[in-house]
This record gives sequence, C-alpha cells and structure tokens, in this order.
Amino acid sequence: MNTAGHDGNMQPLLEVENLVKTYSRKKFAGTREEVRALDNVSFTIFRGTTLAIVGESGSGKSTLGLCLACLEKPTSGLIRFEEKDLVRLGEKNLRAIRRRVQMIFQDPASSFNPRWTILEILAEPLALQGTLGRDEIRPRAHLVLQHVGLSPDMEEKLPRELSGGQRQRLAIARALMLDPELLILDEALSALDCSVQAQIANLLIELQSARSMTYLFITHDLAMAGHLGDEIAVMSKGRIVEQGAPDKMLKQPENEITRQLLAAAPRLDFAGPPISES
Amino acid sequence: MPYLLRRFGHAIFLLIGVSALAFAFTVLSPGNYFDEMRLNPQIAPETIAALKTQYELDRPLPIRYAHWVSSVLHGNMGFSFAYNSPVAPLLLVRARNTLLLTITAMLLAWGIALPLGIWSAEHQGGVSDRLVSSGTAALMVIPDLALALGLLVLAVKSGWFPTGGMVSLHFDDLSFLGKIRDLLLHMTLPVAALVLSVLPLLIRHVRASVAEVLDAPFLLAAEGHGIPRRTLLYRYALPAAANPLISLFGFSVGTLLSGSLLVEVVMSWPGLGPFLLEAILARDLYVIIGGVLLSTLFLVGGNFSADMLLYWADPRIRAEARN
Amino acid sequence: MKGKGAISNWIVVLLALHAIVILAGFFAPYDPTEQDRKSPYQPPMRIHFVDAQGYFHARPFVYQLQPREGSYDQYQENIARSVPLKFFVQGERYRLLGFVPSHLHLFGAENERICLLGSDSYGRDQLSRFLYGGQVSLFAGLLGAGITLFLGLGVGALAGFYGGWRDDLLMRLAELFLALPWLYLLFALRAFLPLAVGPLQAFFLIIAVLGAVGWARPARLVRGVVLSAKERDFVRAARGFGATSGYLLRRHILPEASSVLLTQAAILVPQFVLAEMTLSFLGLGVPEPVPSWGSLLSSLEQYSVLVSCWWMYLPALMMVPFFLGYLGLGSRLQQYGEPYKIGK
Repeated sequence: MNTAGHDGNMQPLLEVENLVKTYSRKKFAGTREEVRALDNVSFTIFRGTTLAIVGESGSGKSTLGLCLACLEKPTSGLIRFEEKDLVRLGEKNLRAIRRRVQMIFQDPASSFNPRWTILEILAEPLALQGTLGRDEIRPRAHLVLQHVGLSPDMEEKLPRELSGGQRQRLAIARALMLDPELLILDEALSALDCSVQAQIANLLIELQSARSMTYLFITHDLAMAGHLGDEIAVMSKGRIVEQGAPDKMLKQPENEITRQLLAAAPRLDFAGPPISES
Repeated sequence: MPYLLRRFGHAIFLLIGVSALAFAFTVLSPGNYFDEMRLNPQIAPETIAALKTQYELDRPLPIRYAHWVSSVLHGNMGFSFAYNSPVAPLLLVRARNTLLLTITAMLLAWGIALPLGIWSAEHQGGVSDRLVSSGTAALMVIPDLALALGLLVLAVKSGWFPTGGMVSLHFDDLSFLGKIRDLLLHMTLPVAALVLSVLPLLIRHVRASVAEVLDAPFLLAAEGHGIPRRTLLYRYALPAAANPLISLFGFSVGTLLSGSLLVEVVMSWPGLGPFLLEAILARDLYVIIGGVLLSTLFLVGGNFSADMLLYWADPRIRAEARN
Repeated sequence: MKGKGAISNWIVVLLALHAIVILAGFFAPYDPTEQDRKSPYQPPMRIHFVDAQGYFHARPFVYQLQPREGSYDQYQENIARSVPLKFFVQGERYRLLGFVPSHLHLFGAENERICLLGSDSYGRDQLSRFLYGGQVSLFAGLLGAGITLFLGLGVGALAGFYGGWRDDLLMRLAELFLALPWLYLLFALRAFLPLAVGPLQAFFLIIAVLGAVGWARPARLVRGVVLSAKERDFVRAARGFGATSGYLLRRHILPEASSVLLTQAAILVPQFVLAEMTLSFLGLGVPEPVPSWGSLLSSLEQYSVLVSCWWMYLPALMMVPFFLGYLGLGSRLQQYGEPYKIGK
C-alpha cells in the first residue's frame, strides 16, 4: 500500500468529468443498438497515488482505461490533464501528451509483435517519439530492463521465449522507456499465476515510489485493488457506484455490487480480518 | 426464413451488379461495336442502322440499361449478329447442354471425393491415405488443358469414345435406349475431364475438413463414451464438418463452371463455352453479355443452394438467424 | 527447421527451372520462329550412341530424317546422314535476357537442324518453342499474379484498416467479381479489349486482364488478417506511443498479411499460367509468331494432328515439373504458415 496517503498536499494529475462513451452496433435487420459503455463517469487521480477501478466484465472499466490512454475517443465529457482537455485535443498535440501516459495490457501474449526482438520492442516508443538518438536507445533499454528485473542479455530474444511474468515485466519496461507520469494497468496481473502476480505487484509498488509515478489500476479482483490502491472506485454498467478508501470499502461495503465483488474474491490475509467477522 | 430471404436478396443484388458491370464494359470498350460491324460484309448497312435505333445508342446509359433489363426479364436477350436471330433461344439450348455436363460432373466428383476424403481422414498417415495424397498431387500437377487433350488422345487411340459433339449424326434414328447410350458415350470424356480436374482439390479439402473435426475434443469425449465408430462418423463428425463442406460445395460450382468452358471447347461439346468463344471472336455483343450473365446465374444459383443447404444443415445458422 | 528446409528445396528447384526458361536463348538450339517448310511435323529425332554398323560413339548423334518413299508426312531415319551432337556450339545470334548478344548454345549441330522434340506444321523446332514459350507463359502468369496480389493487398488493407463505408463498398465489389466463374470473367474482359493487336501489346493486355480478375479472393484474406491484427494489443500500444496509421500498417499490420500473400502467390501463379495458356490456346492470347505454351498445344485441336503427331503433346508433359514446383512450394508454405480454410 502506498504511504502517500490522503494529505492536503496532493495535486490532481488527471481529472475526469462526465465521461460518456456509447457504441452503436448494427443489428440483424438493419436497426441500431446503442450501448453505453461509460455513463457519466467522474473522478480525480492524484499525483503519486494509485486509483484502483474494480468491476465485472462489461462494467466499462477497460473502456475507461482506453479513453484515458487516448486510444478511444469518448462520445462526450472532459479529461483534464495539465490544463488541457485530452478529449478535444488533435492528434498532433496529443503526441506530446502520449509520452506521459502509458498503458499496460492484460494479455502478455498479444502485447508484443511476435516477430520483433526485445530490443526492437523497447526501442519502438523512443523511435516513435523521436526523443533519443539511436546510440542512446540501447543503453537506456538495458537500464530499464534491469529496473524491472530482467537481464540485458535478453535483448535479442523473441517474446515467445519469455514466461508470462517476464513478459509483463517487459511490458512495464516498455512503458517506462518514455518515463511516463501516469501508468494505466488494464488487468495487468489477471493473466498471471498467483505467485507471479505477487512478484509483479511488488515490482509495481517499488517503481511507483522510486519514480513518483501515478497508477490507474483496473481489475476485477477487489482484494488486489485493496492491496495496491490508495483509493478504490467500483464500477458497474458504465457508472461508478462506490468510491473510497480501501479499508473502509473492504470492511464496510455500502453498495450491493461492492459486496458481490468482495464475496467473489476470498483471500486468506490481505486487507484485514476475514469478511465473516465484520 | 428471413435469413433465406436475405440470402436471396443478396443473390439478386449480385446478378444486378454483374449485369450492370457487363453493360458498363460494353460501353467502355474501345470502339463502337457498330463501327466494327460495318466492316463485316455479311451485315447489311440497313440492319446496322435499324439496330442502332433499336438499341438506342443515342440515349443516356442508365435508360439503356433499364430498358435492357426489362427486356431481358421478358425473355428478350438481344440479337445475335452472327446468327442473325434472337440470342435467348440460342443461349438456352447451349445452357442446357452446359448444365447437363456440369451437374453430372458435380455429382460424380462429389460422389468420389466425399467417401474418399472421409476414408483418408479416418486413416490419416496410413498407406491408403498416402496413396490418395500422391494420387491427388499427381493429378493436380497436370494442367487442365493437358488433361483434356490427353483424354482426347486416349479416345482417338482407343476408338472407344466419340471425339466430339453431343450426339451422333444418326441420333434421331436410334431407339430410346440407344439415344441414352449415345448421349452417355459422348458425355463420358468431357465429364471425365471435368471430374479429374476438380477431384484432387475436393478430396484434399474434404480430407482436411473431416480430419480437423476428427481431432476435435468433443469427438474424443464421445469415443470415450463407447459410441461405435460408424455412429461417431455419421452422426457426430460429419454434421460438424458440414459447414466447411457446404462452403466447399459452393466454391466447387464456380470451379466446375470455369472448367467446363475449356473442356467444352476442347471436346467440341455444344455448350456455353464454344458459343461464347465464337461470339468473342466475332464480336457478337449480346451473345457475350448473355453468356456471361447465364454463367453468373448458374454460379449464384449454386451458391444460393449452398446457403439453403447450410441453413438446413447447421443449427447454429438457424439460431443466429432467429436473434 | 525442418519445415524451412523443405521450402527452400522447392524454391531452388523452381529457380533452376525458371533459369532454364529465362536463358532460353542458350538452352534452345534455334530461334523459335525459324521455319523449315521442307520438314513439317517431323517426329523427334532419336539420340543414338551406337550406329547402324554397331560401332559405339562416345559423342551422341542423331540421324537426319527424310520423307518415307511414297509418303509426304511419314519420316524415316536417313542412316547415311548422321549428325553428331556438339555441346556449347556457336549457333545463331540471340540476345540473352534481351540485351546481351551471344552466339553460344548448349548443344547443336553445325549446319543441320536437329529437332529433339519434333517440329510443327511450319517446321519450327518444338524444343526451342517450348523454352521461349515458357518465357511468355510463365512470366505472364508471374506478373499477372503479382498485380493481382498487389491489388488484393491494397484493397484488403484499405477495407480492413479503415472499415466503415469503404469496407462495405470494397467487399461488395469483391463479391461481384467473385460472382462470375473466373474463366468467364477473364474471357469477358478479354472480349472487350481489341483483339487484333501485336504480340507485345497482347502480352501486356493479358497481364493486365489477369491482374484485374483475381484480386477479390486475396483481398478478402488480407482484410481478415488486417481486421484481426488491428485489434491486437501491440498495435494499440504503438498507437499509444504516437504512431500514425501509415506506421501501423507498414510495420505491424502488413507484415502479418505477407505470409498469407505468399501462400496465395504459390497457388495463384500456376493458375494464372494456365489462364494465359488457355487464352493463347483459343487464339485470344499472344498471337503468332510468338510462341506460348498454349499456342504450342493449339495444333492438337486438329484431328489429324491428334491422331498421328504424338510428339505435339510432349510440351504438356514438360510443363508438369513447373506446376509440380509451384504446387510443392504452395503446400509447404501452407503447412508452415497459417492454414487457411474455405469456410463461412
């Protein structure tokens, strides 16, 4: 758990106001069906903290992550990042912002181009942003690899030669290449084995304090959210139904959805005494 | 039901689209057809002038197309300059002959490919499977043209089969059974050429589709329940393989129709193929369009039959259609 | 890797076969259009090592053929005139690869005509015609397939990547092209172009027509690959780094399509070679006197030739290794790459 806590000196990094995202699907006979993936979502992420978004499949949490990472355009609403509204920003101006917000995906298998070597994968973000020269990319890649616990000798390997845990480390490494301020983790630990999950979680915590990064941690596992998050927001059907500090939410959930999520994630120890005792 | 209606509408759309394209081609092609016809001494200038007004060369394109479509629907497919008669009756006779050949070849080819492919899939890696594989590979490597010509050489050398035409000269004098025998003899070579050209492809795809189903976990589970092999094959495996097989069926219609063009010309079978070729060399416009349209009609019809078969055979399609 | 080894074997075989055809000038003893009206429809000359007297010769030789007594179309060997086969002889001039002038031929005889595969109605050497004809047929097929695949790639990428109305329009158009049996479509297209053109124009016309016919199927395949690649996380990640659409297509999406295209190529090329042959066979292809594999077989349409001149069928058999090469390569590529199936 991050010790930044809730003190008055926290600055907001990203503010989301009334975000709406609707998808329209073409149905069989030509009619259209509108699905509201995000229904007036608002919250603030404070610098240096971790906000955990928890919800079931279809709750809209992944869509939220994609919108914040500027990989999907919201239908309406506001995303304020450093005095700029990311929703209305054109692609050219967005490019400069992209450096500062990076995303880590759920499936380690499809996160990388299978034909590229690790070095090429790590070099890509810098090549696209054009910040460093060619000779500077390689040493930086080595450095970042070491930070995530991988060996620089692996640079010529292909992704399929790595284990699931190693691949997620690589994903984190790639995200770190651009030295971002905000990291969006979309179910980044969900596809890993239990023990590996714990290792990567600890890595994330270390990196956060070392680099003063802010995390948006998206998951369906309420217990994991409690472990990593400074604040938890529970989503259902595109809306935030409950938001608050982990201790309170895990011990005294107010919303029915939260209660269901809590019941679905039994843990032996983590965020306090067993649920039955509260 | 709505599914079938949609597929039918789709088929109609295809026919309209192809006819529009064909019509557009005739306009875009360099040189006015009637200018070329003027060079042909067999066609009188008055005919040309009359045809010109009849075919409204001075009217805008969409109107000409609309009139042409309506006349086609009334059975008038234009006029053949080479034969000096309406196109429709000429084409329909040839179309019947082509269909005779193609449908026979289709039935025969599938009749051989299906059992052989299933047998191969059942005995994957075995001696019989490898024999079939080599056989199909050997067949596939021979170009269709060479195959047809080779069969022709065979006919000539052995004298068992007539080397051209659909019926003998004295056909009308034959008894009923004699007529059938004569027709069958004439049909043997072209059908053989068609079947041999498409058989290797069919066998390979049938084998692949069935083999894939045979490897599926659900079949393994059924086997574990002690279900006998015959039942497994016919009531579990084949229905699951029906989807790709029926799609293959639709695809084979197109391949056979294309192949029939060449085979008919080589074997002098009086079908659409040689007729179309003649029309091309003689620049007989309306025959060309009519021939192309008819072949499209057959292909679209074949694919629509495949759609219907699929609807009947695959419950998943029916379920999807209901939602 | 075992798979890759087999593929390169087939490639080597194909390259060797194509090399022979490319260097037709060297491998063929004569110019394919050179006529010898005194010796029409000569059967192949047999190669001997032992002469009529029973003596063994190290150098192979053939006997000149002369018309049989009392017949004008039957030939017999003239044992009085034996013609030794010489290798690497100086023969007629030709241009290797179209621009390097040379005299050298693989084999030949000084002043005599040797027809190892027989001759046609104009007395032209069939072997030479086969080799030069291969240039026309194979390269029409290769170029035609190249154009088709290029078109298919473009259309498929456009439709798959941008989606929306572009996708709908292009796929509807593709369906129209697939609604015609392909040989009928080919003929229809050819029909609406001028028929009586020179050999070079006809060659390019045919390549254009071939290219315009077959794009629909590759386009659909490429579209499928692009659609699935577009949704992959590494493409999303690249966009997150600020990649443009062009970059995404170029570096991530299209390379995925290349393996599908390669397999398609190995299947399409023989089909297109066959299409060119069919056109030429029926008189709609490259006109006389330029040989093409199709026109080589066209004389077999005549009954008399079919009955008595068996050697006119030989070119058909000699084409088999080429098709075998493409087929072998194609099936290996399919096994190695992604197997595609015909299914809805």
